[in-house]
Amino acid sequence: MVESLFSGEFLALLGAATAALAGIGSAIGVGVAGEAAAGVVSEDPNKFGQVLLLQALPGTQGIYGLLIAFIIMVKVGLLGGDGMLELSVAQGASIFAAAVPIGLVGIFSGIAQGKAAASGIMLVGKKPSELAKGMLFAAMVETYAVLALLVSFLMLNSIQL
Amino acid sequence: MAAVEMRKLTVIGLNSGRAPFIYELMHLGVVEINSQDGIISDEETDWLPDIFRSSNSADVSRLEGDIIRVSTALEAISKYDPSKKPLLITRKEFGREEFIAYMNKVRTDTERNMDKAIAAYKVINDGKAEINHLRSLITGLQPWVKLDIPLEMNETEYVSVIHGLTGAKVQSGQLMAAVTESVPSAIVQEIGADKQQKYFSFIVLKEEKDGLYEALRPFGFSGINMADQQGTPTEAIHRYEKRIEEIEKTITENEKVLAELSPARKDIEYLYDLLVTQRDRARIVGEMLSTDTVFYFDGWMPAKAQDEVEELLKRYEFYYDIQVPDADEEVPILLHNSGVATPFEAVTNMYSLPSRKDIDPTTILAPFYFVFFGMMLSDAAYGIILSALCFFVLKKYKPEGTIYKMFKMFFYCGISTFIWGALFGGWFGDFFTVAGRTLFNKEISIDPIWFNPMDDPMKLLIFSLILGAIHLFVGMGVQAYMYFRDGKAVDAICDIILWYVLLIGLVLFGVGGMVAPVLTTVGKVMSIVGAGGILLTGGRKKKGIVGKVTGGLGALYGITSYLSDILSYSRLLALGLATGVVAQVINTLGSLAGGGVLGAILLTAALVFGTIFNLAINALGAFVHSCRLMYVEFFGKFYTGGGREFRPFARKTKYVKIMKDQDK
Repeated sequence: MVESLFSGEFLALLGAATAALAGIGSAIGVGVAGEAAAGVVSEDPNKFGQVLLLQALPGTQGIYGLLIAFIIMVKVGLLGGDGMLELSVAQGASIFAAAVPIGLVGIFSGIAQGKAAASGIMLVGKKPSELAKGMLFAAMVETYAVLALLVSFLMLNSIQL
Repeated sequence: MAAVEMRKLTVIGLNSGRAPFIYELMHLGVVEINSQDGIISDEETDWLPDIFRSSNSADVSRLEGDIIRVSTALEAISKYDPSKKPLLITRKEFGREEFIAYMNKVRTDTERNMDKAIAAYKVINDGKAEINHLRSLITGLQPWVKLDIPLEMNETEYVSVIHGLTGAKVQSGQLMAAVTESVPSAIVQEIGADKQQKYFSFIVLKEEKDGLYEALRPFGFSGINMADQQGTPTEAIHRYEKRIEEIEKTITENEKVLAELSPARKDIEYLYDLLVTQRDRARIVGEMLSTDTVFYFDGWMPAKAQDEVEELLKRYEFYYDIQVPDADEEVPILLHNSGVATPFEAVTNMYSLPSRKDIDPTTILAPFYFVFFGMMLSDAAYGIILSALCFFVLKKYKPEGTIYKMFKMFFYCGISTFIWGALFGGWFGDFFTVAGRTLFNKEISIDPIWFNPMDDPMKLLIFSLILGAIHLFVGMGVQAYMYFRDGKAVDAICDIILWYVLLIGLVLFGVGGMVAPVLTTVGKVMSIVGAGGILLTGGRKKKGIVGKVTGGLGALYGITSYLSDILSYSRLLALGLATGVVAQVINTLGSLAGGGVLGAILLTAALVFGTIFNLAINALGAFVHSCRLMYVEFFGKFYTGGGREFRPFARKTKYVKIMKDQDK
């Protein structure tokens, strides 16, 4: 039982799962932004397009998570026709470690970016011409998700199987 | 490349020529008129009691009224217009005389159509309000349908009829008993009950009315007066329903009237534009100063437009004065960039227009934006789609202004995306490889012209950082140029050139050894010179020894910001990978059904929907992050912004575009 928990294969899958958890951040972030967006649209339905752009911004963390999870699955052979590779515990643990940055940073940056996007939506509600600035404030947060994605990706890329 | 040079214009003219002059000035559309707000209220002008802010607010409000009518008519017609609404409004082109002649011809008809539309719209809205009212009456009457006394009959010569309700918990038997006990002559009838209420009707001798109310008080009875309605409840409901039907018929008829008016919509739109320009002309007079015989205004115009404005002023024989603005005067900003760079003005505009001291960054920014956007999206097929879409919109709708610039910019960015995609070998991700393998059992691969970043991400990361360093160095170079231009050579050397020396030195010290060992030594010397110079000069504007030392240390500590700035460009790699991998995910999902017809269908469906999703989300990402690299990293090095936009007095039309005479 314990051995199967600490098998390389399991740890690698746990890594893919951890990476996909970044979606939590995106879900909360997009949700928060969506609430603000609905408020603005209730005042002025014409702003729908603009606020939708802003609402979409915190969605990227989920995609980054998916991306790393996908790369892990390809790497361990889950998505190929030949079945999963045999992995040593060290290999599995390394893959798990590589997934942690995007998983964790994705959750928190997604939430924070959602709040920034919601404020940006409020900004657009009052000053529609300032859409770009609202987007920029949200994008400042995303930088850290991008960095985490990069770290995860480079780590994964250097793990030899 | 740069903001357009401006001239300050002051004009005094005769009131007799004012109206036609303003008309001509609007047609030229090159002069911004300053508001004279506040000038006249200065106490110093008390000695000029004859000057006043002329205003023809009566004209303005009359025209405003007309505009509201036209807007209502447009709203009414567009609501029931069966034709599809275009995505963007393309303005119809007219010559000036042509437009006036056309409007004169159609004005009467258009006014009539407008009145028809407004009348029909009013009937529809009134009808809808009445239907609502009737529906609520019907709901109110529903519990009373069993009542067989006409509602309007609330008393005869001797008796009163009283209707009312109690809470649902009241026991009917108790209530009736109480009433019969104290007012034996009363007739009680329970008409109905629902979840909340019970409905009662009483017939009672007039003189015993008070006794009845007294007996009902413990039951929380409240009376309802329905005497304003005719007939028994059933009759009334029936009548109301019939009336609703009638109204609905009129509404449909009037909706048809509005739908039939939709061909007239164009002319009404033109009328709207005509009225708006007339209103603007009337309103601008309020910005000028006048006496009984002359008027005065001042404002700005581009130096290029000087000739045509002068020609106009000479024709009217007005007094005028044109001056080059003082160096420290705030001047409105109009950007003018040549050719390919023009659409990228949209990026500059979104940040902030350059102030007078700034350099217009558009031309320098354009090639970097082009490259960065392409790298972040980096899929050849997506690039083709993006460019084709933008090209289609540009040709079909002929957008203008900022929208035009945006589409044109994305058209160029699409080309860049195509180039990078081809370099990295992304065509819908790895679609063709996947399709070949699952459907035809063949290995198709489109080789990247340069290399596939998935295979060697470090190479692309370093390339991204080098691009970033170039971008930052260019930004610093612009700042150095500005220092030299303003005669601050010392600042240029201390704040820019020393940094160049230090940063280049550090790079050489770090990696120069791979090229030639001597470079390491050169790098070391350069770093020390640079760092030492910054340490010594960083605090040169501070007072006292302590200030100078901490200033120097603080400046040198700024090296961390260069580090984070450069690392920020790693997003070029990350976002490029994101597009590629998401495309791969989509293709993998599409290939899950294997080969055969079903597999082909699934693969196509995944390709279509996946591409729409991936392109939309990643084009947005590429746009936002390219902007960020410009605004934060690049502009941070030299740009302040905060310029005021040049807003010439011109026609602000939505539906027609009046061509200048020479354009025809």
